[in-house]
Amino acid sequence: MIKLNEEEKESNRENDFIVQFKDVTKIYSGTVALHKINIEVKRGEVHGIIGKNGAGKTTLVGIMSGIIDPTEGEIIIKGKKYRSISRQRAKKEGISIIPQESQVIPDLSVVENIFTPDYIRSWGNFINWKKMYSKIEKVIDESQININPYTRAGDLSISEQQLLLVLKACFIDNAQVIIFDEVSSSLTKKDEEVLYRIIREQKKKGKAILFISHSMEEILEICDLVTILRDGKVIAKEECACLDKDKLSYFIVGGEYNYKEHKVGEESGREEEKESNEIVLSVRNFTKFGAFQNINFDLKKGEVVGLAGLRGSGRTELFKAIAGIDLADKGWIKIGNEEKRFTDPAQALQNGIVYLPEDREKEGLIDILAVRENLTLSSLPCLLNKVKLINLEEEKKMATTLVERLSILTPSIEEEVKKLSGGNKQKVLMGKVLSANPIVYLLDEPTKGIDISTKKEILKIIKEELSRFAGIIMSSPGLEDLILICDRILVLHKGEIVGEFFEDKFKEIDLYRAVQGVRDKFVENN
Amino acid sequence: MERRTKVELFLLDNLIWLILAGYFLINALVTPRFFTYNNIINIFYHSTILGMLVLGQGLVLMTGHLDLSIESTLAFAPGIAILLTTKWVPGLNPIIAIILTLLIGALVGLFNGYCITRIGINAFLQTLSMLIILRGLVLYLIPLAIYGLDETYIFFGRARTFGNIPVAVFLMLGIFVLFDFVLKRTPFGRYLLATGGNARASYISGINTNKSIISAFVLAGLLASVAGLLAAGRQNAVNNTMGDGMVLLSFAGAILGGVSVSGGKGTSIGMLGGTLFLGMISNSLTLLGVNVFIVYALQGLLIFVALVLDRVKVKAEELLFRREMLKKLGISMKKD
Ligand SMILES: Nc1ncnc2c1ncn2[C@@H]1O[C@H](COP(=O)(O)OP(=O)(O)OP(=O)(O)O)[C@@H](O)[C@H]1O
Ligand SMILES: [Mg+2]
Repeated sequence: MIKLNEEEKESNRENDFIVQFKDVTKIYSGTVALHKINIEVKRGEVHGIIGKNGAGKTTLVGIMSGIIDPTEGEIIIKGKKYRSISRQRAKKEGISIIPQESQVIPDLSVVENIFTPDYIRSWGNFINWKKMYSKIEKVIDESQININPYTRAGDLSISEQQLLLVLKACFIDNAQVIIFDEVSSSLTKKDEEVLYRIIREQKKKGKAILFISHSMEEILEICDLVTILRDGKVIAKEECACLDKDKLSYFIVGGEYNYKEHKVGEESGREEEKESNEIVLSVRNFTKFGAFQNINFDLKKGEVVGLAGLRGSGRTELFKAIAGIDLADKGWIKIGNEEKRFTDPAQALQNGIVYLPEDREKEGLIDILAVRENLTLSSLPCLLNKVKLINLEEEKKMATTLVERLSILTPSIEEEVKKLSGGNKQKVLMGKVLSANPIVYLLDEPTKGIDISTKKEILKIIKEELSRFAGIIMSSPGLEDLILICDRILVLHKGEIVGEFFEDKFKEIDLYRAVQGVRDKFVENN
Repeated sequence: MERRTKVELFLLDNLIWLILAGYFLINALVTPRFFTYNNIINIFYHSTILGMLVLGQGLVLMTGHLDLSIESTLAFAPGIAILLTTKWVPGLNPIIAIILTLLIGALVGLFNGYCITRIGINAFLQTLSMLIILRGLVLYLIPLAIYGLDETYIFFGRARTFGNIPVAVFLMLGIFVLFDFVLKRTPFGRYLLATGGNARASYISGINTNKSIISAFVLAGLLASVAGLLAAGRQNAVNNTMGDGMVLLSFAGAILGGVSVSGGKGTSIGMLGGTLFLGMISNSLTLLGVNVFIVYALQGLLIFVALVLDRVKVKAEELLFRREMLKKLGISMKKD
């Protein structure tokens, strides 16, 4: 009797599994992305996946959602076995994914994007727009994600595009498995909270959630259990309740790295050369209607200034206007001894301003060129020999050094960038900007998608090396990175600078309130 | 990586040359009169004109655009230059005629590039209208042909040097080698590829993408006028149908040579291989007595073959790497 009971339980548990992987292996040219992976996805459970850049997270969920074909192994969906599944099959089985590189159709509106390809139809098979609009408005109300459904999707910021896909997966597609591939990496704190709430609600509805992230806090907060991947293998599967950050980081990196909260750059003897008073960039009355107004600030050499703000606060727009990508309407910037307004990025680069874009796919990388060619793209003029030809030896050396310093995981420097994992692409982008040697760095979310071990290293490079010869302005969706390395933080709200905080007065709660637009006594108005 | 894999990868990268060599060997065995000194020279000689167009087209394709007008430029540039120096302003130095030819080609390219980048006209439509306009003008201005050109003007197209090798062959090889250098070793070449790979990202990286695109069109026009110079020289005449229909073959040659139609990829040496392959096919089939129109159709078929070939290449590469990986895994699995 007891035995039977157990068997029953066993089969019940089997029923709880929506998707199961048995010994799934994926071999790419140049890499073994997954090696004999076993994993189960269960109803009503939030399953975290964490691991270094290139560990195989995206490949794993790509196979599960039918985007990538596995080389070997078995996928079991609700008891049925498959060698590989097509995207259509995955959709039919209720598997939805919000991919790492957001994939909206830029020329369609938000509504169209959300309902493509399953438009609501009325009789006669006509698309029923009215119904779709009323549905989308209901969904937006319910989810409290603040997006205008009538804008063109291409005009949304990256984080908004990702939220759009979250809406689609959670409220429109009738999904049973929802996969989040680093969705929170570009979300601000406020959006993050909305996302967590949505995930918890979905969990209560009995959906299975797979949640990929590089943030240990986040994983520990919202996941029930976490699978840790390293070099394409499952290193551990643990209940989050019995984990802490130390243990988790040990699993992720494998003991070679000691996770400790400390302020980057504190122990290095950089203090004495700090605080030069040379101003490298001044921004005055800078205005772009509808994006930001009346921006005034100075940037000194050796200074790291943080730019904090909500989604839509105008951070990216401000960066782009300074770098001459989008034109400002009023005001000017001063670099060197001239007051000007750049009208194209080449001009800005010549004057010593380099911009690291927020959107690495569309604006950052040339993905069919090699890692080497991308890394040196902005610094070719420094790599010329006497007869103005590219010095290939020097170029190779530069690329190799950058690959090592930023721990870019790639089979060789000649690999096409499109074959790298998301985080490694971001590192290439970072490397490209590093090698340009400007006097002002504009870094728009530079560490997005980068794993814990390299992130520290990159923040350190920004703080200790870049700032030696240049001034830096950087933004980040969360405040932690900014607090860690900035000398000063400017808070943007609805396109205006509403607060300025100095290193000795960083208090997360005050900053957080300023970001939300609460003006109080800490705000030194300009 | 194993030595064998490396060699195989190298061969895959230069697949067109491998095919060329194979095709050459087969013909040397089966096609009568193919494997003779004169015929081989002939293949090269007959590839020179198309070669210039292939290279020009390839450069434009690399930036992510296309140029249909080059075949009309081929007739227009020498046509106007000759009319100018012999009919309109008689007695001008033939050297000036050569310079004018090149200048007109470059100007046509400049106009194309300018309209496409600054005014934002679609490249297909812009160069299509140019194709028709220039051909129309040539047909109007040159009712049939202008025969009997100056010695100096026909030098590049007609003269032969030691071993009876035409000057044009050296010119072509020189230009291809030069562009191989330009693409691999100069920032200009790198920016060209980057622009084709992702124009927006290149622009934000501080590359003057408009300049890259305009330059590609100027070079395409220039190379088309060189082709025109060679064609006029070979026939000792400027004929109003010169170059007619060659633009399609220019696509075939570029794609066979490994240029990506969506931009960002391609090498000059590859395009030389593509050109010679097209030349060799038409030569061997003619020797075998195949109808010229069938030869033309077959060359068209090669565009399709080229695209398939590209896929095959990617697949083969994957297989090679997979074999390598499995071997590595095998070793590591034994270890643990
Ligand atoms: N199309 C491809 N061709 C070749 N190799 C690939 C391809 N896609 C991924 N890879 C390789 O597979 C490995 C795993 O990649 P994957 O994208 O799954 O990593 P990830 O864990 O998602 O990393 P990240 O945190 O950076 O997003 C990487 O080493 C990557 O270089
Ligand atoms: Mg990933």
